Amino acid sequence: MEGETFDRRLSRADMLRLAGLAAGVGVVAGPAAAADAAVARLTQESGRLQVMDWPGYGNDGGQAMFKAYVHKYPHNKPQFTQMTNESNALTQIQAGAHPDLFRPYVGWVKYFAQSGLVQPWNPKLIPNFKHLNPFMVKAGQYKGKQYGIPDDWGFDAILYRKDKVHPKARSWGLLFDERYKGKIAWFDDLEMITIAGLYLKAKNPWNQTQAELNRSVNFLKKKKHLVKFNWSSETELWQAFGSGEVWIAYAWPNDWVTMKKKHPVVYMHPKEKPIAWVGMFMLLKGTPRPHLSHAYVNAWSAKASGQWLENNYGYGHANVEAKPSSSALLKALQLTNPKAVTLPNAYLDRNIPNRATYAHLWEQVKAA
Amino acid sequence: MGAGEGGLTVEAATSEPAVAPRRRRRRRLATPALLGLPVSWLAVFFLAPIAIVAAYSVDVLVLFPGPHGFTISAWRSLFSSSNPYLHLFAKSVEMSLIVSAVVVVVAYPLAYFLALSGTKRKYILLLILIAPFLTSYLLRVLAWKVILGDEGVINTFLFSTGLRSPDHPLSFLLYSRFAVMLVLGYVWLPFVALPIFVTLETLDQGLLEAASDLYASRLQAFVRVTLPLSAPGLVAAFLFVFIPTVGEFITPSLVGGTGGYMYGNQIVDLFGTGFPDWETGSVLALFLLAVIAVLTLVFVRFLRTGEAQAA
Repeated sequence: MEGETFDRRLSRADMLRLAGLAAGVGVVAGPAAAADAAVARLTQESGRLQVMDWPGYGNDGGQAMFKAYVHKYPHNKPQFTQMTNESNALTQIQAGAHPDLFRPYVGWVKYFAQSGLVQPWNPKLIPNFKHLNPFMVKAGQYKGKQYGIPDDWGFDAILYRKDKVHPKARSWGLLFDERYKGKIAWFDDLEMITIAGLYLKAKNPWNQTQAELNRSVNFLKKKKHLVKFNWSSETELWQAFGSGEVWIAYAWPNDWVTMKKKHPVVYMHPKEKPIAWVGMFMLLKGTPRPHLSHAYVNAWSAKASGQWLENNYGYGHANVEAKPSSSALLKALQLTNPKAVTLPNAYLDRNIPNRATYAHLWEQVKAA
Repeated sequence: MGAGEGGLTVEAATSEPAVAPRRRRRRRLATPALLGLPVSWLAVFFLAPIAIVAAYSVDVLVLFPGPHGFTISAWRSLFSSSNPYLHLFAKSVEMSLIVSAVVVVVAYPLAYFLALSGTKRKYILLLILIAPFLTSYLLRVLAWKVILGDEGVINTFLFSTGLRSPDHPLSFLLYSRFAVMLVLGYVWLPFVALPIFVTLETLDQGLLEAASDLYASRLQAFVRVTLPLSAPGLVAAFLFVFIPTVGEFITPSLVGGTGGYMYGNQIVDLFGTGFPDWETGSVLALFLLAVIAVLTLVFVRFLRTGEAQAA
């Protein structure tokens, strides 16, 4: 059965030994720890855990998120390859990269689940799973199986300098405002077509009709002259925003947290609603380290990891027990609202059925 | 003639036919032995990748598993009127031509001075010229961000001298077509100066003396002797810049912004940054290769014609 590859690797004898060991050790150290230890020993998964993740989430700053895992499995430390976005991850995997797990966002769950590249998780092997936001957990499911384990979440919205910019309205229109020519940064992703669709009131911005797509693309081409650059890495945005080259940008909460240290900035939630995203760990089909992958995700799902993420990156975390130390952040991210990522607050990012068409059109906007 | 001598002669004469085939065999083996490695290298790392890219461009190879077959639809679409990629290509060619021409014009007097001034320190000066190569390419490009930014060296100077208000910095300096061309020019200048320097240094000084003896002014000697004889170096220098810059993507991605986006960036995006479309990406890459190859052949032809006329 699909998704049970790693379960089948355990023989009946292994399972009996596992159960016996778990029960025996459990008396002393508790069931969760026993199961972890037993699993690690019996499955004999070896080598470093191969993780494909976004910049800033590996050994380049995100170590606190998987500290517990490294402590528990010092011989299987994660080894990271970077993905600049989901398309990039898809390309790398299709071209032969074999990470054990990677982390696309919620809009890609259906795509990857259907692609046959991934397998479902076994939530029973993730003790912290029970603390994860049920709404986000559901967003990680496809045909009743848990293909995505939710982790960080946040919004796609607009960051602007309040000392330089005076918006006419709380709207995505600020990204297309002629008054700020040369001071605007868009995101280098096909999501800009969705945002144009939102702004132009397309019926379903994620699945626009041909006429709506033409309108959105022509609109973006017409407004492209206002844009200083399309950013693809946050450091690129921070450098330009920090040095005053841009005043208005498509941005994530982390950008707001970082930029408010340098300039008076506002993280605007547009009236057309921001797009919310939830990071989803996905397990590659046929991975030789499924249990280590579960242990890694469990470390990420812990309350302490969630709090660290919220305090340091300004993103929300799917663990409902994790709360940031800053009340301002708590309010801005609406962390007390378990459904902050969906209507009426925001549109949860979703699958784009014609993703290749959107991508092709976005490339045309850039080339135009 | 002594017996011994005669014996030696006879021995040498009889051993000659035995040595000749060995030499011939050695000679026969020498050519493939010398050429084997570079040819294999080219075959594995140049021709084979091109063949693979060509297979992707006609859908014989695909990134995503599934039904596929030979098609030239991506090639056809490249030449359709609505396709923006050819316009982007024209823009990149235009930028590269400007950079190459300007850099050759700037580098020529520099190389001329170094080669013909007779200064003893010319090799030291040459070393200084190529000194930036001792640092990383990326660092050199990123350094320009510090210089050209709104709060960069140039704008700060303009603010401090009152020539510009801090509220109105020169914004076109960074994230623009200008920035890309400026940085490319800076990066490639030493590459251009070197072939011109070599050509000028090997110039027969006697020709200039002869021109002088025939009452040619210095300008006439330059136009009629030096410039035509240094044309091969000029063309080589021009090609040294033009070929790599037309497909450049690192510099435009760091300092180009939306205005400085080039054809090379589009290829990179199609292969990996955006949603993967290796078919179109391969078509664009091969088209670039073909155009560059044709242009190079034209230049080489021009060069040979020039050399023949000079001879």
